[in-house]
Order: sequence, then structure tokens, then C-alpha cells
Amino acid sequence: MRLALAVASLVVLVVHGVVFRNQFFHEWERHQTAYIEQARSLAKSERERADLDARSPRIEQVIVTSFGDTHVDRCTTCHLAADDPRFVNHAEPLKTHPYSTAMGDVQRNGQWERRHKFADFGCTVCHEGEGRGLDTFYAHGQDEFWPGPLTGFVTQANWRKDFSPHLKGREYMEANCAQCHTEEGFAGTPHVNRGRKLFYAMNCYGCHKIDGMSEGTLGPDLTEAGKKFKVDYLWESIVEPRANLDTSYMPNFHIPQEDVEALVIFLKSRRGVNFAETSLDRYKAHVANVAVVIPPGTAGEKAGEQLLGDRACTACHKLGDKDGGIAPDLSYEGLVRDESWLTDHFGNPRARVPDSIMPAFRFPADDFQKLTAYLETLKTPPPSTWDAQTTFTNLCARCHGEKGDGNGKVAWYIDPSPRDFTKQGFMASKPRARFVASIQDGVGGTSMPPWSRRGAISRRPTRWRAVRNPSPVASRSSSCAAPVATGARRTARGRIRSIFSRIRAISGTTGSWKACRTSGCSNRLNMASRERPCRPGST
Amino acid sequence: MTPTKEPSGPLTTLRELPQNVWNSIFRNPLPSTDLERSSTSFTNFFLHIHPVKVNKNTLRPAYTMGLGLMATFLFVILVVTGVLLMFYYVPSTTQAYDRMLDLRGTVAFGIFLRNMHRWSAHGMVAIVFLHMCRVFFTGAYKRPREFNWALGVMLLLVTLFLSFTGYLLPWDQLAFWAITVGTSIAGYAPLVGQQMKFVLLGDTTVGQEALLRFYVLHVAVLPAVLVLLMAIHFWRIRKDGGLSRPEKVPAPAPDAGVVKLKKIYGLQGFVRGPFTKIGNTPDDSVYSWPNLLMAELFVFVLTISAILVVSLLFNAPLEQPVNVMHPPNPAKAPWYFLGLQEMVSYSAFWGGIGIPGLMVAVLLLVPYIDRSAHGVGKWFAKERLLANTIFLTLVIVNVIFIVIGTFFRGPNWSLVWPF
Repeated sequence: MRLALAVASLVVLVVHGVVFRNQFFHEWERHQTAYIEQARSLAKSERERADLDARSPRIEQVIVTSFGDTHVDRCTTCHLAADDPRFVNHAEPLKTHPYSTAMGDVQRNGQWERRHKFADFGCTVCHEGEGRGLDTFYAHGQDEFWPGPLTGFVTQANWRKDFSPHLKGREYMEANCAQCHTEEGFAGTPHVNRGRKLFYAMNCYGCHKIDGMSEGTLGPDLTEAGKKFKVDYLWESIVEPRANLDTSYMPNFHIPQEDVEALVIFLKSRRGVNFAETSLDRYKAHVANVAVVIPPGTAGEKAGEQLLGDRACTACHKLGDKDGGIAPDLSYEGLVRDESWLTDHFGNPRARVPDSIMPAFRFPADDFQKLTAYLETLKTPPPSTWDAQTTFTNLCARCHGEKGDGNGKVAWYIDPSPRDFTKQGFMASKPRARFVASIQDGVGGTSMPPWSRRGAISRRPTRWRAVRNPSPVASRSSSCAAPVATGARRTARGRIRSIFSRIRAISGTTGSWKACRTSGCSNRLNMASRERPCRPGST
Repeated sequence: MTPTKEPSGPLTTLRELPQNVWNSIFRNPLPSTDLERSSTSFTNFFLHIHPVKVNKNTLRPAYTMGLGLMATFLFVILVVTGVLLMFYYVPSTTQAYDRMLDLRGTVAFGIFLRNMHRWSAHGMVAIVFLHMCRVFFTGAYKRPREFNWALGVMLLLVTLFLSFTGYLLPWDQLAFWAITVGTSIAGYAPLVGQQMKFVLLGDTTVGQEALLRFYVLHVAVLPAVLVLLMAIHFWRIRKDGGLSRPEKVPAPAPDAGVVKLKKIYGLQGFVRGPFTKIGNTPDDSVYSWPNLLMAELFVFVLTISAILVVSLLFNAPLEQPVNVMHPPNPAKAPWYFLGLQEMVSYSAFWGGIGIPGLMVAVLLLVPYIDRSAHGVGKWFAKERLLANTIFLTLVIVNVIFIVIGTFFRGPNWSLVWPF
């Protein structure tokens, strides 16, 4: 036991030694000693030398109260030469902070004079980092828990490796400049300005709210994004919207890297109340929150088709081979919606579809006219050679799902949810005419368009009477019979009937969908395999 | 030390001053005889908490493992470091976190003090729990130590609450959300739950009022309660006849309470139990000085060296400043409450209040339920197979819940693989 006691005592002693050494020989003391020595050799007068001789290492600090919360900046404990012009060519930390005319520094009689004096501004107001820390790791904000690492200079170890290299560079500091220099178009913050323009041009404002700038409600409020989030999170949220939230419906805009950077810097500058504003200013902006109209000229003079691309409509909608995977297909818009519907819907989507998630964008009226005009030109009907299956896949499945179970690609974003045709109870509760009418004339207040009103799918009421008992058997015979008997033109006419039969088939009037699925007879309901024998005749 | 017969000269007074001061403080020289050993224990304020002689079994490291002593020494470390930290800490939502940064970066020994305080606090919770296990598995709670066991259970609860109140004080995300979760668990109690939570927080959410209340509880109220309970706990160890130990085979008939007039020498005769009674002194005892003291010193040095090493190697966590709008996912309670949180994830009432309440009630009542006098003073005695099995099962279940809650729970409290 005595040996163990001795060992334990030795441990106590050793730990004490280490702790005392750490506490009495700081890194910053070495830097200060080095500074005093070098300054002494540079000193010109005896007096200066004597002053330096009398100095011993001590903690230096600047307490800044003018900018937001009180900043206690002990940075100059190591960066002692920051304001000493003789150390321009030295290595960090004993290096003079650069002087810059762009920052407002002026040279008088060969002496630089700073516009942003350290005594007034401290360091962290512009650079961030942990002003109270005296240890590089903590002071520079390398600690993953510190919310503000040295802007543009330090990336934290837990940040994504593929983003980290993009997150360095002094341009990021513009986000801090913008805390005071809030005026739009301020020359010192080109990235913030560009980001602000992009915020409108990329339609971010449609979904996101920033007090005084926009009032979107679909996405998170970004008024304090720069305070809440670090740059790696902002970058990730733009280039991979679903990285943090699987259910996010923010589209991936695939924007170029310079634009991402500008947006990140702009968002980093959004911190709620800026230094330059009083809380009263902020409240006024909040109350007024004037209707922001995109300044004409950003995309104004372009044709509708180009506008559609520039305004990133296909980030949500589908048109041709571009598909955002969130909102309805616009390919036949000219055939399902008329001009007044489009105009109303652009003005306020909820005027036509009460629960639409589409934001009310504030493009100039001219842009809307051009967009409407362009959409009205999309009048090419789907190829008449399509049989019921193909039509369903191309026109219906996007919302109602391949299986007709109401679980299509965009169904999640559509309110009310697309109908589930596999629900037998629902299918049985409505007369057939009701389904036909829904397909032909749409369902008001929902995203279901009137497919026959303007001829996307031809309407032949007489044909409907023929289908008396649309059981799967009947549907099979009818969908097969049409193409074989009458060729392409009659296929188009009979399409709605076939689609409806298809829908009825899904609901399984001769046996429940579930029972069928479990008994392994789902092939019977699989249109592709069921109609294969008919295909040769129709083509 | 020769008594002077006449007033001596000033020179002599001066020369003898250190010796006189010393002798006035310590009445005995370093003991070399048994009489002096007894006298040393008896006449020193700090040593008289010990008995003069102590059973050899008490000193067996394998029997007690020094757990009770460890808990005590951890508490001493906590008091010392805690008082030093109090010089820097301000229980204000706007200042607390900045003070933590100052402690970490600028205050001399600040980070080390904080580390020691943090790790000792965690250590104390663990050690007190292990101490309870030791007492149970050796059957040491049996008559006449029933009430001391109950006191011990209360000490465990106070220790948990002390650690819990201290958890909030750094005012970082970890603290804020752990306390939010912890106090929500308290809110599940029927009838009084919400009121209890409100009294504890002074508000409906964790904020300035809660910080102040937790601070006062942490630095004044709970330590006072703990010290009082500890004093009674220690006092009763003595009065209950020292630590438990196996019965001697020819056990002297317990004649507690029966006063045999002829055998009484002073008040000690009224002290019950087989040990301290005059004329009934067991042979297998040794003098506390130096045997017990050396053992205590050993445990102390061991405890403090462990804490020092851990504090040197690992920094106490300090996460982001509190952000009320941005909870971490998952938000976890302190580890010793993660078993509860895990159970709460199955059933709010039963996991948070029902089962823990039952467990505490059962723990308190254990010595009054298990009345058999056998199997005392032996680890996992055969006679206590049933009791030990039940207790061990409960311990293991609790530990498993804590391990699951700590390592196997990810975002939205879903099961994750920690490696």
C-alpha cells in the first residue's frame, strides 16, 4: 500500500507541476517578450528603450460597447504589433494590421491614420472570433462550439470537407462590414450587394422572410440567419437543401459557386438588428415591410421563355426536360389554363388554389404578362398515339402516382392531397360521371386541371354512355378495343374513358387492391403488362 | 514540556513561543504508545470523529473499496473548487457564459478549477451510487443500520440534485437544454408536476429566474442539506457500532438496551451495539492512529490524483451560448438522468415519475422489508441470494437504460449505432 501511496502522491505532484507550468508560461507571454525585444532593437530613442525595458508581459484588452453586445477583445495580447507600423514585414502574430485606403485609412505626413481605430472598434466587431480567449484555438474560434470563427480565415474542424475550402477568403468579412454599412450598393461590400440582388433574382424572397425585405412564409425566416448559422451551414443549405431536413421542399437551384458565395455572405450579414439601426428603425421596417418589386431590368426585357428560365420556375415546376420535382407540369399549360386564370394565379396563387404553396412573386407586371403569354403558347396536345396507360403515366402519375395511390412525385407538396384511386370505398362512393367531370373540367380550388376544357384531352360525351360497367374486365376490353378498331384518332377521343377505366381498375371493383396485392396477382392491375397485347394494334 | 514554576523572562517566553503554540493546539506528541494513540484520536477535533480503535474488517480495501470515503473527499474537492469558482461566476443570463470564457481563457487556474469541479461532480454521482451498491451487496443496511441506509438514499438524491442544479450554471446550449429536458420530466408528475416545475424554474421556461434559483440551490441550500445529512450519516456509523462486518461465530448475546449497572463506566454504557461497550471489546481491532488514518490518506491521495489527471487531460465541455430558438437534436439530460429520459421516451408518467418514484420508495424501505439478520458483512452472501439478485437486476437495468440513452440515441431519439 505504501508503494501505491507513493505512486499516487507522485502523480499528484506531477500534475501540479504541469498545471503550474501551463499557468505561468503562456504562449502569449512569449509573443510579448519577443515583441518587446524586437521593438527595443527598432527603438530610436533612449526613452523609448527605457519604456520597453520597464514593460513586463500582461494581458491587453479593448472593451467595446458601441457595437451591439459588449465586446471584450484581448486579441492585442498576442497581436501586440497590430498598430505598430514598424512591423509590416514581420510574421504573425507580431505583424502590423494592414492599412487600406479602401477602408478609409489616410496617410498624413507619412503617418497612416486608421479610419476604424482599434480603440473604438476592437477586433471582433470586424473579424469575429472569441475576443476573451488567450489561446489560439479558442481565440480564433477553432473550437467547433464557438458560433463565430475568425471570418474568412478559420474553418472549424467539423465543417464539411467539401465546403471548407470555399469558406475562406477575406470577402466573407463583408458580412461584418454590412453590420454598419447597411446602405444598398455600398462599394465596400460587393458580395453582400450581389447576394441581395440574387436573393430577389433567384426568387428566394418568395419563400423566405427577411424583415424589411420580403415576407415569404414557406421557408424559414432568414432575418437572423447570420446570427443563428455558421457559413458552412448556410452554404450547405443552398447547395443541398435536404442535407439537414429530409422533408424540406426547397429546390436545388444548381447555381454557380460565385453566386452561392455571394448568397452566403449576404445571409451571413443578416443578424436582425444591425449596429447601424436602432430597434425603432427595425420596428418601422417590420411594420412597413413595403411590397418589394423586383427592380425592372434584372430580367425584365427578356421574352417569356427566357424569363421562365431566369426566374427559376423549373426549380419547382416541370417543363420539357427540366423538372424541379415539386410543382405541377407546365408542358400543357396553354391547354389547361386560360389567360385570366394564369394572371390571377400569378398575382396570388391562393386566389385560385387556396392551399397552394407557390409564393406570390413580385415580378414587374410586365414580366407576368410575358410569362402568361408564353405559357399560353404551350398548346401542343399530348401525342394522340398515347394509349390510356401512357397518358396516365405522363399526365396523371406526377400527382396521383404510378400506382394511382395518390402518392406521386409531387403529391407531398400538393394540398389537398391527390386522390388515392386504390381506396375502394372512395371509388365506390362517387358516380362515374363525377370522375369523368373531374378529369374533363378539373376540380376547382385544387391543382387538378380541366384536361378537356381547352382540348388537352378531347371530350366526347357520347362515348361515355357506352361504358356501362367499368369493371376491370370491361376496361380491358374497351381500352384494347379502341386502338385496334379505330386507329390513332379514335384513340385520342376514347382516352378519357380509358383513363377512367384505368382508374376504376386500380380501385379494383372485383376485389380489393390490398387483397390482390397480398395474393400476388398485382400483375393483373399492372397496366403495362395487361395492355401489352393491345399495343401492336395501336401503333 | 516541563511546567514552569515562576514567570520566565521575556527571552525564554520568546524561545518557547512556537513550542507553546504547538502544544496548545495539539495536546499530544506524535504517538508512540497505545495510550498516546488513543489520546490522539480522542483529543483532536478532526480526529475524534474516528473511534479510537477500529475493526480490522473495516480496513479491508476489498470490503468497502473506500467508496464512502471517496464520495466524501470528492465533496471536499467540490466545496473547495466550488468556492473558488464562486469568485468569478455571476448567475446572470447575460454574463454567465462570458464568465465561463474568462475562466477558460484568462483566469489563472480557471480552466483547471472548472475541470476539477465538473469531473468531481460527475465522479461523486457515480461513486455515491457505487457506494450504495456496496452497502447493499454486503447486507450492511440491516439492523441496526436501517436508518443510516435511508439517510444514504437521501444523500444520493441530494447529490443528484446538486449535480443537476450545477449543470445549468455555465449557461451554454448543453446546460440549457439538459435542464429543459430534466425539468420537463419533473413536470410529468401527477397533480403537482407543473407547479413543481414552476417553483423550480420561477417561470414557464428556463430563463434568468431558473438560473438564479438553481444557483442559490447549488451553492447554498443543497450543500447545507448535504453537509447536515452527511454529519448525521457519519455520526450514526459510530453510534451503530462502526461499519458492518461478519458476525463472529460465537456471537456475544446482543443485550442492547439492558443496562448492567455493574459494568458501566460512564455514559458510554448507553451506546448500543456490541462494539463500544466496555468489557466487550473485540480482539480483532486496531488503533485508528495510524491504521485508519493511513487508509484514509491513501483513499484521499488516490481520489485527488484521479481527479487531477482527468482534469488535466479532459476539458469540461462548454458548448455554444444559449440559443432558445435552436434546440440541439436530440436534447439530452445529464447522463445520470438519461436512464429516466430513455424511460420517458416510452411512457412520460411511468418513465419519469412512476418507476423512479417506486424505486426510491423501495430503496428507502429496503431495510424495513428485508428483516432477516443474516448475511451481513459479506459480499454476495449466500443467504442474501434473492435480495442481491433483485438489486443487481435493477442496477443493471438502470445502467443499460443510461447506456442506451447516452450512446444509442440520435436525432429525434431514434436508435443509432454510436461507432
